[in-house]
Formats: sequence, structure tokens, C-alpha cells
Amino acid sequence: MTQALINGLVLGANYALMALGLTLIFALMGVLNFAHGQLYVLGGFVTYYVFTVMGLPFVVAVLASIVVLAIVGFLFDALFFRRVQQRSAREESSMLLAAGLALLLESLILLGFGEKQRGVALSVSGVYQIFDAYVPASRVVVFVVAMLAVVLFILFMRHTKPGRVLRAIAQDRDVTALQGVNIALYSGVGFAIGSALAGLAGSLLVTIFAVNSGMGTAISIKAFIMVMLGGAGIVSGAIVGAFVLGMVEALGYAFLPGSVTYLVIFVGLILFLVIRPNGIMGKPWG
Amino acid sequence: MTRLLDLRSISAAYDRVRALQDVSLHVDKGEVIALIGANGAGKSTILRAITGLIRPVAGEIHLESERIDGLRPDQIVRRNVAMVPEGRRIYPLMTVKENLLMGAYKRSDKAGILQDLERLFVRFPRLKERLSQSAGSLSGGEQQMVAIGRALMARPTLLLLDEPSLGLAPQVVREIARTIRDLNREEGMSIILVEQNSRMALKISNRAYGLSTGKIVISGISRDLLSDDRIREIYLGGAV
Ligand SMILES: Nc1ncnc2c1ncn2[C@@H]1O[C@H](COP(=O)(O)OP(=O)(O)OP(=O)(O)O)[C@@H](O)[C@H]1O
Ligand SMILES: [Mg+2]
Repeated sequence: MTQALINGLVLGANYALMALGLTLIFALMGVLNFAHGQLYVLGGFVTYYVFTVMGLPFVVAVLASIVVLAIVGFLFDALFFRRVQQRSAREESSMLLAAGLALLLESLILLGFGEKQRGVALSVSGVYQIFDAYVPASRVVVFVVAMLAVVLFILFMRHTKPGRVLRAIAQDRDVTALQGVNIALYSGVGFAIGSALAGLAGSLLVTIFAVNSGMGTAISIKAFIMVMLGGAGIVSGAIVGAFVLGMVEALGYAFLPGSVTYLVIFVGLILFLVIRPNGIMGKPWG
Repeated sequence: MTRLLDLRSISAAYDRVRALQDVSLHVDKGEVIALIGANGAGKSTILRAITGLIRPVAGEIHLESERIDGLRPDQIVRRNVAMVPEGRRIYPLMTVKENLLMGAYKRSDKAGILQDLERLFVRFPRLKERLSQSAGSLSGGEQQMVAIGRALMARPTLLLLDEPSLGLAPQVVREIARTIRDLNREEGMSIILVEQNSRMALKISNRAYGLSTGKIVISGISRDLLSDDRIREIYLGGAV
């Protein structure tokens, strides 16, 4: 039981990174980023490549994932989203674009890293005992780094000028342009941050779950579940949704037969959304 | 007087709906200009065209002898233009302070920003009390003060106000009218005031333009227009 709870916490912290990235992009662009899971997968592969193939330190691999994904996110916006949204105000256009980009990125990952499943064995010596559970130090590292990133992200959004500008754009684009903000540039920055968070999650979790080029959509769906649970566009909602999903998933895997867990999660989500359609934190972005 | 803003034969449209047709108007330095007209006449569209939120399909806009139509909104407001949009459009989920700081976004003079905040609190003491409250929890009048304060934090030389009196109690409307007059007299700010409250607008402006279905149908000195029969008929609700 303790073991499952601890796994849930580790998962939850990393899921929070994904959910925060997704919810940031949603709040800025008004679009659910269907390619979010592929960004996660790319983050995992970059870390695998830098750490396992090139043999560089894990820290370098994580940083490489963050940087690569930030660049990919910025380009996604500059090359695709910005152009499509200039030409068409319809939400469907952006959604179709996001779905298309998911496929594109998936193919590129397949081309670049192959079809093999890849994991990273992070060997940090030491095992912690927490009550009756044994937690390898590598998981503690993964948990702590993820939590640190969550806290940094929140501090950035709350207390820095660029964070304030991103929140302003989420609330009112035109009015924010009228304050002198270059919206296109900041959308790119927001997309870069959101993607980097997904990449960081992939980079950390690849030490626990191997990645393969085809798993992106399943990850995206998980991220959507978290955001729907918590409430779309809300920071606290993303975090709550992520930990709820992480916990339920860890408990499910511990006590239910394999594939039943997600069946239970989906049924539970549908029932929950019937009762609270705006999610746990159900308010707009703050 | 020197010309600050010049709209030359501007036409604008939303998708295929014509909103402005051949609109020409100008603002000299230090002037308060009123734009009056009924619902949907095109008043807000003129302000949107000036600030680049909508691109005119024909005509030219010049600001201090520089052509600005075609520039992005952020490029235009950097030329010391600020707008108080229709319906206030404050950031409801941000604190009053954060709203005001957004107004100072393009400035980097920290000391000057703090000084301007203090001056704003002299003008609107209530904002100081509400500084760390979320702006969405304020009353309509206070929200309008936040919207005006946000615009002032940009230190504009040209201030565009879109229906600042909308939905506010009479004494708040008076307070805002006084603010507009002060800004013009004490700081020499040039102002375009869009109003459906035509009487108030004509009283505090130097000149005015009357719009009807996207065209300027009357213009002149505000004092004269106040007693003009046509204006009474169209904008002041008949004989008074
Ligand atoms: N976003 C939009 N999309 C389509 N048509 C619009 C849009 N905004 C305004 N219009 C139309 O353009 C015309 C001018 O509108 P505008 O908002 O400039 O009028 P206004 O004089 O400011 O009116 P009000 O007093 O109601 O604010 C109107 O016919 C209006 O219906
Ligand atoms: Mg209007």
C-alpha cells in the first residue's frame, strides 16, 4: 500500500509537469494540444540518446530534453499555430492542426529514434525505506526534480513580469497587445515553456517507464484527463488533476488486473464530469 | 496647433460587413475630441483602427507625421498611445496592482513607475485601498478607475477612452469627467472620448464628430454642437 502511494506521488509530480504544460498552451492559444504526448515521448528519447547512447551525465540529458523541446514548441507556434490562427479564427482549424502535428512529430520520432522501446537505467546508489516500502534513490531524484520544476513554474507565473504577461494574454489577448506586448513572441514563449515541461516529464519518467514512438497519443489522453479532472486552464487544477490521476493509476496497477485500471479511470471520469463539468477547481484561468 | 493624429478617408470592415466608410478626422496636440453616435455607428471601430486592432481596408492613419496603419497594436501603443477599451476589459483574475503594472509593461524606469503609481493613488485613493484585491471583485466604478489607471501607467500623450461612463452611477460619471478634464488641462494630454452620453462628452471636449452608420455626418466645436438643432435631434434625445 505505502509502495503504491509513493509510486502515485512520483507519477503525480511528473504528470503535473505535463498537465501544467498542456493547460498553459490551452490558456494561451485556446487549443488542446493533441501533440502533447508526442512532446513527452520526444523528451524521453532525447534523454535516452544523450545519456545512454552518448554517455553524458543525466543532468546534461535532462537539460538537453528541456532545450530541444522548448525549441520544438517555439517552432510549432511560429511555423504552424500562429499562421493558422491568423487565417482562421475557428477553433476546429487549430484542433485539426494540433492533431496533424501529433502525427508529424510521431513520424519524425520514428524516423529519428526507430521503433524500439527505449528506457534509461538511472543508477543513483541508495535505497530509502519509508514505512514498509523501499524507494530507490533514483525515484527520489525524479520526484524531487519534478516537484522543483512545478514550484519554479508557479513562482515564475506568479512573480515575474513574463509570467504576468502570460497570464494577461490568457485573460485578454487584444487588451494585452494594447499594453505593448508582442503577442506573437509571447505565444511562442508560452508554447516553448509548455513543451519544455512535457519534455521534462518525459525525460524524468523515461527512467521508470520506457518510451516508444507510438505511445504519444495514449500520453496525450492521460494529460487531457488530468486537465479535465482539475479544470481546463487552471494551474491548481492541473496539479490536483495530475496527482489524482497519478494516485489512482498507481493504486490501480497495484490492486487491479492490468487493463482494468484505465477502464475504471474512464468510467470514473465520465461520472465525475457529469457531476462537476468544470472539474475540481472549476474556474477560469488565474 | 500641431497635428497629433490624422485619419484620412478610413474605411474598415469586419469580414464583409462595412463598419467605417471614408472617415476623416484629426486630433491636434492638447485637444479633447468627442466621438458621438448611436449603437453600432462605428465609434469603437475608429479606436480599433487607430490602435491597430483592426486594419483599415482603405485610407491612411498618421501619428505625428508617421504613417501607422498597418503596424501591430504593440508597435502603435509604443508611440505613446493608450486605450481604455469599451467595457473596461480589466484583468479580472489579477490584482489591482498587477493590472496597473501591465499598463506600465513597456516601461523600464522602475522609479518612474512607482512615482506614477503614487500619483495615481492621489487621483483615485480607492485604488490604493484595493491594491492587492483581485480586480474582478471591484465595483463597476472602481473597475473603470483600474482601466483608466492602467492606461495612464503607460504615460500616453494620446489617450483613447471608449465609453468610460457606461453603466456607472452619476457621481462616478462626474468623477471620471473631472479626471478627463484634469488630464487634459494639467498634463496636456490629448484625448479622444467615445461616448453615448453625448451631453457629457460635448461638455468636456473641444471638438466633436458625430457618426451615423459608419460615416461622419457632423463635426465642429463642441460648445456650438451642444446648441445645434441637428445634434439635439439625433444625439441628445430631442428638445431639452
Ligand atoms: N467583431 C465584430 N464582428 C462583426 N461585426 C462587428 C464587430 N464589431 C463591430 N461590428 C459591427 O460594426 C459596426 C460598428 O460597430 P462599433 O462597435 O464600432 O460601433 P459603436 O459605435 O462602438 O457601437 P456601441 O455604441 O454599441 O459600442 C456595427 O454594425 C457592428 O455590428
Ligand atoms: Mg463601441
